[in-house]
Amino acid sequence: MSKASTYKAPIVTSKLRVSGVMLDVIIAMLPLVFFSYLAHGKYSMMVIGTAIGSALITDWLASWFFLKKTNSPLDGSAIITATLMAFTLSPYTPLYMVAFGGAMAVLFGKILWGGVGKNRFNPALVGREFMVAFFPVVMTSASVWTAGSYTVVNQLHPFSVFGQGEIINYLNATFYNTNGALGEYSILFLALGGIYLVARRRIGWQIPTGLLVTFFALSLWFQDSISNYSIAGVLLGAIFMATDMPSSPNSNSGKLFYGMMIGAVAIMCLAGGIKHEYMSYSILILNGFSSKINEIFIPRSWGRSTDLPLRVKQTVLITLQIITVSLAVLGLNYYGYIHYLVFVYLAYMIFNFHFFTQQKLQDPI
Amino acid sequence: MFMKIPSLKSVTKKIEITNLADPELFYVPLKSYFGEMKPLVNVGQKVQQQLPLAKGKDGSLVHAPVSGEVVDLSYQINGLPHLLIQNDFANTVYINKEIESASAIADKIRLAGIAGSGGAGFPTHIKYDANQIETLIINGVECEPYLTADYALMSDEPEKILRAAHIAAKLFGAKNIVIALEKQNRELVKVFQSCIDFSDDISFKLLPNTYPQGGELQLIKAVTGKEIPKGSIPANEGVVVSNVGTLWAIYNAVENGKANTERIVTVSGTGAKKYGNFRVKIGTSVSHILNQLGIDLNQTDVVLGGPMMGNIVSDLKQPITKTSGGVLSFKKSETKENNCIQCSYCADACPQHLMPMQYASAKFDNDTKKYVQFNLSDCIECGACQYICPSNVPLMQSISEGKSLLKSLQNSVAI
Repeated sequence: MSKASTYKAPIVTSKLRVSGVMLDVIIAMLPLVFFSYLAHGKYSMMVIGTAIGSALITDWLASWFFLKKTNSPLDGSAIITATLMAFTLSPYTPLYMVAFGGAMAVLFGKILWGGVGKNRFNPALVGREFMVAFFPVVMTSASVWTAGSYTVVNQLHPFSVFGQGEIINYLNATFYNTNGALGEYSILFLALGGIYLVARRRIGWQIPTGLLVTFFALSLWFQDSISNYSIAGVLLGAIFMATDMPSSPNSNSGKLFYGMMIGAVAIMCLAGGIKHEYMSYSILILNGFSSKINEIFIPRSWGRSTDLPLRVKQTVLITLQIITVSLAVLGLNYYGYIHYLVFVYLAYMIFNFHFFTQQKLQDPI
Repeated sequence: MFMKIPSLKSVTKKIEITNLADPELFYVPLKSYFGEMKPLVNVGQKVQQQLPLAKGKDGSLVHAPVSGEVVDLSYQINGLPHLLIQNDFANTVYINKEIESASAIADKIRLAGIAGSGGAGFPTHIKYDANQIETLIINGVECEPYLTADYALMSDEPEKILRAAHIAAKLFGAKNIVIALEKQNRELVKVFQSCIDFSDDISFKLLPNTYPQGGELQLIKAVTGKEIPKGSIPANEGVVVSNVGTLWAIYNAVENGKANTERIVTVSGTGAKKYGNFRVKIGTSVSHILNQLGIDLNQTDVVLGGPMMGNIVSDLKQPITKTSGGVLSFKKSETKENNCIQCSYCADACPQHLMPMQYASAKFDNDTKKYVQFNLSDCIECGACQYICPSNVPLMQSISEGKSLLKSLQNSVAI
């Protein structure tokens, strides 16, 4: 058969398109947006709206300018990136910073990599870290969290119909509370969003499960030496951030290892005194190892066997590398140089786009 | 995990097999599984139906589908030689005494030119050169959407299939015969059970309606539990898998002394106006079939075979071969290629547990090592990855390019 004729088969394809995948993520996020409104009303909406607006405009302009594409805001990825970034912020974050973060998330998190799907790091977290690096005083101070106390609904008691007591109070708090960042007001709906995405197969169960089990097991183990963490924040990271398709590994075993390592590195970060950015750093560090994890955790082909000693050796080696990088990040953080990493990344992205990405704009991968 | 693909078979499932008028000109493909075949006839020679026309290195034969005159020995279609026969519509039949008089069943099968009708067209006489076989699996799992050629055979002529299964099982001493069917076709169980030739050593295996459940390796696992790698010989594991179409051809050869010159072809697809399961002679061109059925060739893409693994026909003279189960036409459509979003659906859909997205990145990064690293040689080219891809990344194209690249590298090493 001629090559040209074999290329086009199969002639039937599934109806699933990228926008369908993105739509499911948006559906999973919607309840959280709703709870953020209940918690801080218009302040929440302004932050999320500003992030989305800024991301969409940047996506449209930058795709046109750098990628010569004009339809990219339609795929929904900018909306997801912006909303997820907003989910990590205080509702009282100054809006110009939010706009800056949304723009940087799209520009340096996505466009300069070559567009949707090609990014090596989670763009929402890239946006957040740009904000931290450029506005360190505001972003790392407690004042941004206490700048306002406006709430629409203070408490909800859906579980009180079952009675009263400690457990009921706790359940009510997992359903809704007004503390923390914008995406953290309902642990229950964070979890339900995760279940929805797993059921729709938009994320694998391996990453959140590996991450959460490792994180909570280690947090019990090192109870005394780690600072406080937010359960909702960990869930947000495990379900919505670590599972970002382009920046996470592809194989099931790779995803499990990746999730577990994020959990472990997050605990390292907490033990090393990183107060707010522990999920962010651990996910971004592991993002950097994703392609390497892909090359190690290759699924066993049908009827063949895995070279187990080699797999163990490679796993130990990459674990050591991840620990080394994490320690280096902890060191930079300790001496207060961590924001220079963002500047290095910024410079690298410009260099990389100019010399490499630009030549591959037409390639789909 | 195997995928569910809409089967789209209901259009032709209940249609009985009918004959299709023969064309004036036949394009008999001179290719067997092991390469090109050598003609046994000359240009200008009058041939009768069933006369052997060409022979392959492995002993494979191809026979005249009709009586007529040989007009060309090496007519090229898509780079492959075809032997052209001008039909004289006299339908005089060459009485092939050799097939009838051959004492061994295996010889009859070889002389009748039987090749696996399900996929690659592996010569049946070589496959059946086996012993210590535990199980003969009858592959009635037609997992390609639209195709109902095998279904039509099973529902119209089940006794022939059973008869041939007994012949084959006796040949290599298989103790069990397992008829593998999709659950959506479970009504066939009763059809087989009501046959005279049904016996106690025959059992059924009903399998999920997933793709590619009918792939040989996947079928062997589902029936026997044995997971064998691509490239290994099932007979070494005590298993032989034969397609229902192959068994039908065996019946015709052993019981009637007839060579393998026709097969059942499903005509369907979104661009088709008439549908059905037709008895078509090998060498009939796609254009003849579509013309007979009044299908507009300008507005459709035509596929020879199934929609998943078949080929888009670039030259409508391309003929029905021993392995073509369908002629499908589809309204022309443009598919837009987007960026890979690393969703891993291709890896989830891959029955061989490969990571197809890596082949695309190997192609676009010109990284030959990656093809090897990610086990490209284990790919069975079922197309499941391409089917599921939400971005239309050219996965099959990269797989196909990667395979030819690896082949050329192997050859250069060998030299």
